[in-house]
Amino acid sequence: MAVVMAGFVDFEITWRADVFSGAPQESSAANFGTVGINFRARRAKNSEEWHAALASLSCEVPA
Amino acid sequence: MKSQTATNKTLSIPDLDLGDLRQAIQEEYKVVAENPDHGFHFHTGRTLANILGYDESWLDGIPERAVESFAGTGNPFSLGELRMADRVVDVGSGAGIDSLIAAKMVGPDGHVVGVDMTPAMLVRARQAGQEAGLDNVEFREGFGEALPVFDGWADVVISNGVLNLMPDKSVALEEMARVLKPDGRLQIADILVEKPVPEGAKRNIDLWTG
Repeated sequence: MAVVMAGFVDFEITWRADVFSGAPQESSAANFGTVGINFRARRAKNSEEWHAALASLSCEVPA
Repeated sequence: MKSQTATNKTLSIPDLDLGDLRQAIQEEYKVVAENPDHGFHFHTGRTLANILGYDESWLDGIPERAVESFAGTGNPFSLGELRMADRVVDVGSGAGIDSLIAAKMVGPDGHVVGVDMTPAMLVRARQAGQEAGLDNVEFREGFGEALPVFDGWADVVISNGVLNLMPDKSVALEEMARVLKPDGRLQIADILVEKPVPEGAKRNIDLWTG
């Protein structure tokens, strides 16, 4: 959501993996389930495209 | 160019001082720059590049001084190869490996600006750039939250393992959007934390750098 709020559209995480295991020093990463990721997005072409992406984030709260 | 002055304000995370955090990060990555064989809580160098799926051909011609101090969490180039003549900003460019790979990909008509806040890393990256003979790449001192780049300059923003070191992700992402052209591409490697992080851990600077 933060990515879209910053002005981007088409946010997508494409990859995730444990990139810390086996490091020379013990890492706290595993304690927090920390994984490496790749993600991409695109700056909106214009305000209309961005506002459409923002609108898609909204959801109805059940009564 | 934006001339925002980065301050040592306390952020939304109580008791976390931005100046103290940046100093701790700079101290950690100074060691990565100057003593890459020290052994860290993360992988570095060519071993890391292999783990992250960097193509061997990308490293051709990249000076060892940039490769051996490489630290990152993913592979921005796997998200789409860069195009000839692209303008690229590398946020948190470190010892310069990703900036130099990008400079090779975009060719002589392209341009790459690497931005880093750690002087020791900038020294190493500039030396590597000279050694590689690439004159379409430069390294500027600056913060991710106040990039020293004009509005709408870049076709692509890349970053590798740096966004997680900036407490205010929203400001950092807004800066990336600011320097990109409309329809510009964001290709980021970072970390994802899949378990809740206790408030005390968020204030522990040692955990930010490790």
